[in-house]
Amino acid sequence: MASFFNLKIIACDGVFYDGQSEIIVIPGADGEFAIMNHHEKMTGVVEVGEIRFKKPDGQWQKAVISDGLVSVYPDGSVTVLSYSCERPEDIDTFRAQEALERAQEQLQQKQSRIEYEISNANLARAMARLKGAKRS
Amino acid sequence: MASTKEILNRINSIQDTMKITRAMYMMSSMKLRKAKAKLADTEPFFEATQRGIAENLVRMPDMRHIYFDNRVEDEHETIKRRGFVVFTGDKGMAGAYNHNAIKLAVERIAGMSKDEYKLFVVGEVGRAFFINNGYNVDTNFVYSSNNPSMHRARIMSEYLIDLYNKEELDHIDVIYTKMLNSVTEETCVERLLPLKTHKFIKEQVQEIEADAEGVSKAATELKQGVKHVHSINSYELEAFTQGGDSWYPFYPSLSTVLERLVHNHFTAFIYGALVECSASEENARMMAMQSATDNAEAILHELSIEYNRVRQAQITQEITEVIGGAKALKKKKAKR
Repeated sequence: MASFFNLKIIACDGVFYDGQSEIIVIPGADGEFAIMNHHEKMTGVVEVGEIRFKKPDGQWQKAVISDGLVSVYPDGSVTVLSYSCERPEDIDTFRAQEALERAQEQLQQKQSRIEYEISNANLARAMARLKGAKRS
Repeated sequence: MASTKEILNRINSIQDTMKITRAMYMMSSMKLRKAKAKLADTEPFFEATQRGIAENLVRMPDMRHIYFDNRVEDEHETIKRRGFVVFTGDKGMAGAYNHNAIKLAVERIAGMSKDEYKLFVVGEVGRAFFINNGYNVDTNFVYSSNNPSMHRARIMSEYLIDLYNKEELDHIDVIYTKMLNSVTEETCVERLLPLKTHKFIKEQVQEIEADAEGVSKAATELKQGVKHVHSINSYELEAFTQGGDSWYPFYPSLSTVLERLVHNHFTAFIYGALVECSASEENARMMAMQSATDNAEAILHELSIEYNRVRQAQITQEITEVIGGAKALKKKKAKR
């Protein structure tokens, strides 16, 4: 019998998931890492990419996430805080493709450091979205 | 007493104004509905980031870092340059909404010389006010709180954090309007940078816990909640009482988490403030237009009574004149 923990994924446009989960896999700075129940309490960085978590019915749920933070609480519950989190089927591939091209175009031009970083982040998000959408 | 024509003119002009205020009321109530839906979507995120940063701050080990403004060179600085991000609307006619934010900002910078502060104004009304009155405003910072988007919040926060990292700013405070419910709004101040250190929070919590009556400076500031930047907020108090002194690991490293925490918190806060402000602005405008329409109706009512009275008086006078004239004619005839 698998043991479950409370998982809460909050994006800036609403709560994405609030319920039980068995395991969650998160893209980290140096590769993916997984959190199961009774994990040590910690705070970690989430990179732009794809997360997946197992719901109580044994189904894997995938989602495309932008950068954020993950915290594990003493009681084992996990909160993921991110700017955006979307199901692969909700992603507008056309829009993501456009965003990708726009970001690439902007990166070609001479930009200030801030603009460069924003374009770079936009590019990473667009790529993650397209990748997530393709696999579903 | 004014003539009927004058009163009629006045009634017509008030009716025209009423049409405008009524139309503006309808428009802002529609916009408010949209803004409120967005606010409801954003609220969990906004709250969770504030809670998240509080939880992390009470667990950060004491260290010297630019984000805490406690490096050795920071402590030697004689002037602390303050940045104020002031959120106002793009248009007037919103009751006291814009004035409250402007007033609070002016109060904050009162007595500071121009190189001690810099204003970053969101919204056209506030920008026009501060520039016309000769305040030190960053003119490159041109954003509006209309239709808030994450993208705009990101650009704004990157711009401010960049200035902070270049040490052009030592403190960044945000002045924004929060919607408590559909009738009350509150103008709030929040310090985004530097972050509060673990030691500082601990001292404040101990001070609050030490006096049971809640009369100390820290406790009263906590109760006032939004009007100060020098003490802790309720999230930090809560986080500290839930096991403040225990450390836990940060993945992949403390400095990465700190960096990310600052960027995320800043962007989330700016976004949350944008959403709160756009909702409060529309709410304020809706209420202002509602009362304007009500006032117009009251004036119309009074004017219509006056108009009828004047008209009646005029008719009476005319009749008296006709009768008087007829009587005079009759008398003339009788004499002959």
